Amino acid sequence: MRYRVFSGIFFLLVLLSAAAAYPADVHRLKPGAKGKICANCHVDFQEKLKRPFLHTPVKQGDCSGCHNPHTSSHGKLLEADPSRICLRCHEGIAPEKAKSTHKVVVDGKCTSCHDPHSADNKWNLLKEGNDLCFGCHKDLGQAVKKARFRHSPVEKGCLNCHDPHASGKFAHLLKTDVPALCTNCHKADKPAFTRQHSGYPVANARCTSCHNPHGSEKAAIMYANVHRPVLSKMCNQCHESPSSPTPFRVIKPGYELCRGCHSKMVNETFGKNQLHWALVGKNGCLACHTPHASSEAALLKGPMITVCGACHADTIKRQETSLAKHEPVTKGECNVCHSPHASDASLLMMNPSVIDLCGSCHNWGKHSSHPVGEKIRDMRNRNLSVNCLSCHRSHGTPYKKMVPFTTSTDLCVQCHKQ
Amino acid sequence: MRNSRVKIIVSIAAMLLLAKESIGAEVLKLRHFQSVYADDKDAGFTAPEGVGCDEKGHILVADSGNGRLVQFTLINGKAMPDKEIRVPELSFPVRVQTNSKGEIFALDGRQKRVVRFSPAGEYLGRVDAADSPPPSTVIPRSFDIGKDDSIYLLDVFGGRVLVLTPGGKFASKIDFPDGYEVISDLAVDGKGTIFLIDSVKALVYVAAKGSGKFSPLTESMRDRMKFPATITTDGHGNIYLADKNGGDIYIVGPDGSFKGEQLTMGWKEGQLRYPCQLCINDKGEVFVADKENNRIQIFSTVR
Repeated sequence: MRYRVFSGIFFLLVLLSAAAAYPADVHRLKPGAKGKICANCHVDFQEKLKRPFLHTPVKQGDCSGCHNPHTSSHGKLLEADPSRICLRCHEGIAPEKAKSTHKVVVDGKCTSCHDPHSADNKWNLLKEGNDLCFGCHKDLGQAVKKARFRHSPVEKGCLNCHDPHASGKFAHLLKTDVPALCTNCHKADKPAFTRQHSGYPVANARCTSCHNPHGSEKAAIMYANVHRPVLSKMCNQCHESPSSPTPFRVIKPGYELCRGCHSKMVNETFGKNQLHWALVGKNGCLACHTPHASSEAALLKGPMITVCGACHADTIKRQETSLAKHEPVTKGECNVCHSPHASDASLLMMNPSVIDLCGSCHNWGKHSSHPVGEKIRDMRNRNLSVNCLSCHRSHGTPYKKMVPFTTSTDLCVQCHKQ
Repeated sequence: MRNSRVKIIVSIAAMLLLAKESIGAEVLKLRHFQSVYADDKDAGFTAPEGVGCDEKGHILVADSGNGRLVQFTLINGKAMPDKEIRVPELSFPVRVQTNSKGEIFALDGRQKRVVRFSPAGEYLGRVDAADSPPPSTVIPRSFDIGKDDSIYLLDVFGGRVLVLTPGGKFASKIDFPDGYEVISDLAVDGKGTIFLIDSVKALVYVAAKGSGKFSPLTESMRDRMKFPATITTDGHGNIYLADKNGGDIYIVGPDGSFKGEQLTMGWKEGQLRYPCQLCINDKGEVFVADKENNRIQIFSTVR
């Protein structure tokens, strides 16, 4: 008996909460006023209704599901902020602690992909198939179209591998993680597969450390730049034998592994005063490089600005917020000014002379008549001579011409007090 | 009547607690009192990355760009040049420390090893971390000397702190904490507590003496700091961090609480450009290797 009473109360509570979440008619509209009356004025909307896929409120003639018929603080008389309104019905579109999320979803820009009223495509998508994705991911679209060796799932559709909204457990919006995603199609127990991978049990490895899942110019959809031992299938130059209980373990730690082949570079690096400490850290050369293959030159793990920015985020951020942009930083060419491994010059500069370094791009004679050079002392500091960094900060400032002071006067009076 | 008395007592207690809190939130300020630019022959420093200090008033400058150590003595508050140490075994000094016997230790950035000198500046040999467990390669990025003269090496290759006997033999090790990014420096206080600074996370790790494990002392301070790369402690357990890219000094309390930001980036005295090693003596004087300004700056601590 008691059980019945409790379940009855529980049922009522559920009904009440549902009613609160979805108010039946907050505006107390007359019959037909939810949508039919709207069509009296919005006559061109009839065209949209002819499309094959209609958003449920549109189908139900419920314009007031999203729009306020009288007033609103938001554009298009929307009932809520455009970035939040869809979530009123589609709340769980991205898992709460998703491993990866599509930025447009996080930003609430649902209309980047969906038409809120109607569309010619399923799920009210603005375009069909990959064309929609490649509208934003243009570079990837170009690469996929140009690729000599193509990956058929990509051609069938991005949604074969990716969830367009978010992935609860995996990076890159993947539906399943690598290698399981790959071994769904590529059966790792086939002899040819084992032979191709020199007997290493790669069914448990990350396929994407060598293969570009979106297609490539190289056979076996390898990334554009392949580490020579990988290309020649000499995996045991770096890894233990495939028959070892730990076949993927590397035979030496950190940079010492790479030194075996790249001894000249490592010796030169260790002969300099200033070392990029990342090189001798826990990951050795792999702090910046990938050991197998990469779409980036020099087997970098990613675009240079991303690789450098992983540790030097503050420097990259300074450029982003800078009024003036320094071209090498904007282009992500940190190595125009800095030596990535080691240098005898301060701050790992490519040239110990700041004036010569800047002068390799900037023509001083035309640029400035201010005296610079070893003989010109900085009046703020007896141990400094005047060089470019006396007045500019190479990664930018919030002020004009990368000057670290609000006005030119503030800069000049640093030295010229009279 | 009784109720109002209780209210008064409660109010007084609350006020006392508030007063205690405000006293606890001690504000430390750095006041510039001297900059040191050159030796006794007026040969200026070039990009000095290291500065050490001791209780006898000695200041040791790792004049990195000139490949030498220069010792000064603070006399009546003025740094007087003492001696120069220039040997082929130390071509690019980047850190310098002294032990209780006055022996001088310096880290060579080029050869990546710590070398030892007598108090008079005679070369005594290298600290080779003998008998250390694998990996056999040891690459010290920094080091410190404990109150008992133990040597603490920050071995970035092995991802560990090697604790060596005063003679330089292996005594123990503590691995870097899980999830660390870039550990740039370490400091050891008078109790033998070891502190690490993770420059990328802007986070201080701590290992009490004998604990054998590092744990976070602070939250990430990334929103405040740019790239804190050096760390030291004062006699009160406060932790000082030099923000290399920001050109300022941050002070953190013994409990990890944030105590303030001092100084700014600039060229003038009292300002910093890419500060490196810090040292604090028993008087609370703070020495900063002001690398890109080619000088050492000395600050007093004002409470």
